[in-house]
Amino acid sequence: MNSQDFISSGIIELYMAGVASEQQVRELNAAIAQFPEVAAEVEAYRRSMEAYVNMQSINPSADVKNRIFSNLNNTPNLQQVLSETDNDLQPTKVVYMQSSKRPTWKWIASIAAVLLLGSLLLNFVFFNRYKEFKGYKDKYESLLLSQNSILSKSNLYKTRLEQMQESMNVIQDPKVFKVSMPGTKAFPTALATVFWNKESQQVYLKVNNLPEPKADQQYQLWAIVDGKPVDMGVFEMGDTVNLLQKMKVTGKAQMFAVTLEKKGGAASPTMEQMYVAGKIPG
Amino acid sequence: MGATLTYTEVELVQGLSTRDEKVFTYLYDHYSPALYGVALKVLGEEAAAGDVLQEVFVKIWRNIDRYDPSKGRLFTWMLNITRNTAIDSLRSKNHKLEQKVTDVNSASLMYEPQLAVHLSVDHLGLSKVIERLQKDQRIIIDMAYFKGHTQEEIARSLEIPLGTVKTRMRNAIIQLRTLLKQV
Repeated sequence: MNSQDFISSGIIELYMAGVASEQQVRELNAAIAQFPEVAAEVEAYRRSMEAYVNMQSINPSADVKNRIFSNLNNTPNLQQVLSETDNDLQPTKVVYMQSSKRPTWKWIASIAAVLLLGSLLLNFVFFNRYKEFKGYKDKYESLLLSQNSILSKSNLYKTRLEQMQESMNVIQDPKVFKVSMPGTKAFPTALATVFWNKESQQVYLKVNNLPEPKADQQYQLWAIVDGKPVDMGVFEMGDTVNLLQKMKVTGKAQMFAVTLEKKGGAASPTMEQMYVAGKIPG
Repeated sequence: MGATLTYTEVELVQGLSTRDEKVFTYLYDHYSPALYGVALKVLGEEAAAGDVLQEVFVKIWRNIDRYDPSKGRLFTWMLNITRNTAIDSLRSKNHKLEQKVTDVNSASLMYEPQLAVHLSVDHLGLSKVIERLQKDQRIIIDMAYFKGHTQEEIARSLEIPLGTVKTRMRNAIIQLRTLLKQV
């Protein structure tokens, strides 16, 4: 492109109006540097634009002047260069509406600062929540533990209650005979009671007071049927004494007695070790 | 422009570099009407234009060392600072497109001869030029030059094709130059 082509291309006019594209501005600057005629043409256009501007001069108010001069006198660091002024000092700045939307580093920095502050705040909030949560977690675990122990205790009590209920049912049954067995001469404080359901022939035993036997010994219940002792089974001591213990069945009996035997029971009772005995009334 | 003594551009630049307030006062008295006129054309509002003018003179005072005489005249440099500062200020007000159209219409009132009386200098010359510059040519120059709109925005705003904007813009600038040669 020679200088005349460039001058008639219309780029200079668009540039003067301030609407040349960046590409066109680059071409113009290259042409100015290359062709003095182009440079002269640009300068002539520029002077006419500036004359047009000058014609529209308006005197600012005295107030504006006062503000400007007092502002200058109150500015201590006059050498300070504002970064933003850089753009305004460019002689051939091409302006686009969109360009003002570009985020500047100030924007980015302030957004980053806000984000950082927000993050710190959230850290603080979440750390507090975490501490709170940890406290709750410990409490929860100990509650869980105590709940488990309460539950197992409650199960124990439930079982115990059921057993008691069962005992009560037996005792309250009108078909059941109660046979009290007081202590013999050798063991006057001993006491036990037999509950006998004549219909189902089931025999139950309640220990009221018997001394705890040695580890290799066990008490045994006997029914005396027509003068002969019949084994009604051995029974446990310890905690079980609070309950009614189910023994063997018998259809007939005139008397019940408890002897202390070797562990597992004996085939016939040891009469010297008879602790309690009771006749069936009637 | 009541200053009795005059400075050349070189003297002005030197005086400003040495922070000579007398030179600055001269500069203000000599150039503020033109620069204020630009700010007012851009912003269409005296208070905002006054603020921009203040910002412009602070920038000139602070950045005179950055002015490079080999790249252009001092007035061109100051004019660019003013236009850019004013247009930035206009945009920071976040004008919507509808408002831009309104701005154009209200700004076009400025060309009406009866309103030209508050132009302090050369209003006779201006009205001569303006009389001969077609209204649509004035509007298109001013939208681009004073409002900083792109060709696309002008096309949208005036509802004319982009090609027409280019042609009309070019003709308007050529016409302006021709007319000003005659003044």
